[in-house]
Amino acid sequence: MSEYTVVGQKLPRVDAVEKVTGAAQYGADVHPAGMLYGKIVRSKHAHANILSIDTSEAEKLPGVRAIITQDDVPSGRRVFATDKVLYLGEPLAAVAATDPDIAEEAAELIKIEYEVLPVVQDVMEAIKSSAPRLHSDETKEGPNRRDISAKIKELSRDEADGNSTAIRKLEAELENYADEVYYNISAESHTEAGDVEKGFAESDIVVEDTYVIPRVHQTYMEPHVSVASADSSGKITVWASTQGPFAIRSGIAGTLGIPLTQINVIGTTMGGGFGGRFGVIITHVPAVLLSQKAGRPVRVQMTREEEFLDGRPAPGCVIKLKTGATKDGHILARQALAFWDSGSVSGASIGSTIRVRGVYKIPNIKIDAYGVHTNKSGTAAYRAPGAPQAIFAGESQLDDIAEQIGMDPVKFRLMNMREEGDTVPAGGSEPEVGYKETLEAVADAAGWWNREADKNQGWGVAVGDWTNGCGPGGVYVSVHEDGSARIFHGSMDITGTDTAITQIIAEILTIPYKNVTIRRGDTDSAPYSTGSGGSVVTFTMGNTAKLAAEDARRRILELAAERLNTNVDDLELRDGAVHIITVDPPKSISLGELAAYSLSTTGGPIVGKGSFARQPSTPALAAQIAKVEVDPDTGRTRVLKLVASQDVGFAINPMAVEGQIEGGTVQGYAWAMMEEMQYGENGNVNPGFVDYRVPTSADLPTVESVIVEVPAPNGPYGAKGVGEPPITPTLATMANAVNDAIGVRITELPIKPEKVVDALKNNGHGA
Amino acid sequence: MKNFEYFEPTTLAEASLLFTQEHAQLLAGGTDLVIGMKAYTETPQSVISLQNIPGLTGITADTDNGITIGAMTKVREVELSEDILKHHTALAEGASEIGSIQIRNLATIGGNIAHASPAADTVAGLLVADAQVDIASADGERTVSINELFTGPGQTVLKPGEIITQFRLPSPASGSHYIKHKIREVMDLAFIGVASAVNLQNSVIKEARIGLAAVAPTPIRATEAENLLKGKISTPELLQQAGEAAAAGTSPISDLRCSAEHRREMVDVLTRRTLQIAIDRA
Repeated sequence: MSEYTVVGQKLPRVDAVEKVTGAAQYGADVHPAGMLYGKIVRSKHAHANILSIDTSEAEKLPGVRAIITQDDVPSGRRVFATDKVLYLGEPLAAVAATDPDIAEEAAELIKIEYEVLPVVQDVMEAIKSSAPRLHSDETKEGPNRRDISAKIKELSRDEADGNSTAIRKLEAELENYADEVYYNISAESHTEAGDVEKGFAESDIVVEDTYVIPRVHQTYMEPHVSVASADSSGKITVWASTQGPFAIRSGIAGTLGIPLTQINVIGTTMGGGFGGRFGVIITHVPAVLLSQKAGRPVRVQMTREEEFLDGRPAPGCVIKLKTGATKDGHILARQALAFWDSGSVSGASIGSTIRVRGVYKIPNIKIDAYGVHTNKSGTAAYRAPGAPQAIFAGESQLDDIAEQIGMDPVKFRLMNMREEGDTVPAGGSEPEVGYKETLEAVADAAGWWNREADKNQGWGVAVGDWTNGCGPGGVYVSVHEDGSARIFHGSMDITGTDTAITQIIAEILTIPYKNVTIRRGDTDSAPYSTGSGGSVVTFTMGNTAKLAAEDARRRILELAAERLNTNVDDLELRDGAVHIITVDPPKSISLGELAAYSLSTTGGPIVGKGSFARQPSTPALAAQIAKVEVDPDTGRTRVLKLVASQDVGFAINPMAVEGQIEGGTVQGYAWAMMEEMQYGENGNVNPGFVDYRVPTSADLPTVESVIVEVPAPNGPYGAKGVGEPPITPTLATMANAVNDAIGVRITELPIKPEKVVDALKNNGHGA
Repeated sequence: MKNFEYFEPTTLAEASLLFTQEHAQLLAGGTDLVIGMKAYTETPQSVISLQNIPGLTGITADTDNGITIGAMTKVREVELSEDILKHHTALAEGASEIGSIQIRNLATIGGNIAHASPAADTVAGLLVADAQVDIASADGERTVSINELFTGPGQTVLKPGEIITQFRLPSPASGSHYIKHKIREVMDLAFIGVASAVNLQNSVIKEARIGLAAVAPTPIRATEAENLLKGKISTPELLQQAGEAAAAGTSPISDLRCSAEHRREMVDVLTRRTLQIAIDRA
């Protein structure tokens, strides 16, 4: 039994009632008096020179109160395109009007003259010397730029197998690129440990493939929205739907050259984020500029179509991967060459290519990754940014090796997994980790060891690793005369983090969960808080909350000692009261009485303060097993079973943790099977939920969650970040299950029916 | 949404007159129109609701005329109707594939057809039911076969002012089935849709009808395959020939959903499957 009474319990979320009843205030619910409606004017071309922008007709439209272009950005930082647009939907101007229809009409009246340029949307096309170049000033040569040809040659394969036509074409093209000079490279990252050439030479089996992972959108339910109000003194208030109000404050200040504390950012309840809700210029900066010009509050809210055109989705990528192993199952070497589709600006998570090393003892690794510019919007984080893509390649290829050496995929992984003290390729050594426990847990729960499959059914397994981030935060906790406690902080609740903070404080102060309430402040009032992303919140704010509660506890015991004329050492805080443990019968005083007493003391009220920035985090593993049935005639895949285990360190709220595991797994499933931003000759062609498919509850059985707890030394109660890991293995889990069912190795996601049918036509080996 | 004039006529004649105006749109369930208006992709100057016109809703069955479905009948009602489930199973199955239950509680069968999407889920079922489409206007009434209603994507033979009032299904099938090829289990658009309906006599296929959606500019019947089946006893080889014939008669496009080749192959697969199930049900 747990020694705890509040943490570790499946308690209802603190925000459950307001969410269910619709009382929660989202960005679109904010409506200050006199508010205007903003609309962003967007490029109709994916790549074009801008010859002119004429706003004169729109200015004449009654009801239009402000029109802004890049000329209205005093700092000159790029908010709107001026000379050239780089993607379909790129902002060129914005209007504010008294009515959304007028704003829409005004936007249409702004005349833009374009000189259309050739478009490049495929990373493998974009790197060619013949490709259109997005940034004409791109002259700098990266340290390894000229080596791309050599790297492609290193990874060239002798025989084509197991790939679709598209992949085979890509393979051939990669080789033809040999003597090209490469362009549109936005960033690069290189890692090496050991000697891969030696590793491959010593391997009995070497497997190579090229994996293509599409760009996908975070598809949070609430589109981007902000309401900005600039008053006559220059003070700016922004109601922002964001994961990080403090980051938005500094972002606006930096972009517009406004003093930091002249801006107050009020975070509104967030309708999902998944990493995609940190952007500053998407809606916040245009809203501020419009409000400054119009002298009235302005709301800028994106439509779903705008989300797809000008959100910041997860980058797609092409990963060429090669792995060598001995025939008794030891992985000796792994090499990757990756091209990440960064879109019009740099920022794709190319460093995550390192995730192909997985959690295995691989003595020799070499990784070369490039970010590539294409005519698409920039990218941002999406739940474990970059990891699902890299792990898809790594874990798909592991299954192919296991198959070739005739070893069970779970046993093969267990045999190669790192343990505490093992060397992490290019990264120090492992702390206490629960890799094997987590994989064994999912295998046991799924019935892997006695698995059965009818015709066209198959089982797939994969694991994914991730380590939560950490960041600064501050928490105050006050104890009131009725014995309740109130928490005050500045971090955005992201799927249950306010609940976890509340549970921690209730646990330490030994008062009932329902008597602890939590209030989020704005950036004017709350202590600084890191953004709610990177699985940081429970780790960071949990630690911060613990410090605040312990600080309050110290004051409580000090007050009780004073009140009861005894020493702190003789006191115990239990069940919402302080007890003298050394007297018989025991004497006690309640927290409410102490809070009332505190008001007339020299030391004053009970206020605990917690402030925290960082401690080393510990890696967490997610392991998943799927059983699928594939219809070989139609290519449709049905999931029969999906089991997900995760090492969460310690589940502060197991119900919320299960929710995270289920949610991440479903998002991974969606990426594997259906989600894909598609691009035609002029940009994104599926900017809506008709042709950008997200799954419904009818597509999946209930995800069975298995919680594994190997405590993190620095996490609150041992907790690790839980939000991101569950999406990391699912792409490969699904591909491996499909391969097991019908003997088709799909290396290009999503696994759409047509790809399966085509692959089967080609002898079970790609199309 | 742009401003528009809104009308709620109480007679077909009045509605028809209003509908002859330029930039006028009929409002049935609104599940296509209102979404388009909110997104500014539809900007009608007048919207004419059909909801107050009597006689446009409901499903009736009688021995002489078969089943009649009012154009304003909710898709959900078509899906759940005992009469349709019994005599035109493929149509009920098609109705059950549209959107979500919430959408089906609003959407009408007339709207699904008049919108003239080649991928409409009720269209294959109506094709294999040999539905007769009754049309009214201020000038009078006329009837066209469902097979002749469509002229292209979003295009029909309906003239300005003409309104679909009901669908008559005179020819029941003893067994029919609809399959929609899709990625998502529910709430997906048809990559293709295939309905097959048969009447058997002593195991001999007396009559077979095959309706195909999203494989040509308009929904079509696979007449060659139908003729091939007529008068024969079902065998796997026969069904295979029928599937191949149906596929050969299509002219699908490649688009962002899938290739023309895949659509053609799925016509083959799903024709065989729907026929087999229709025969099993007959």
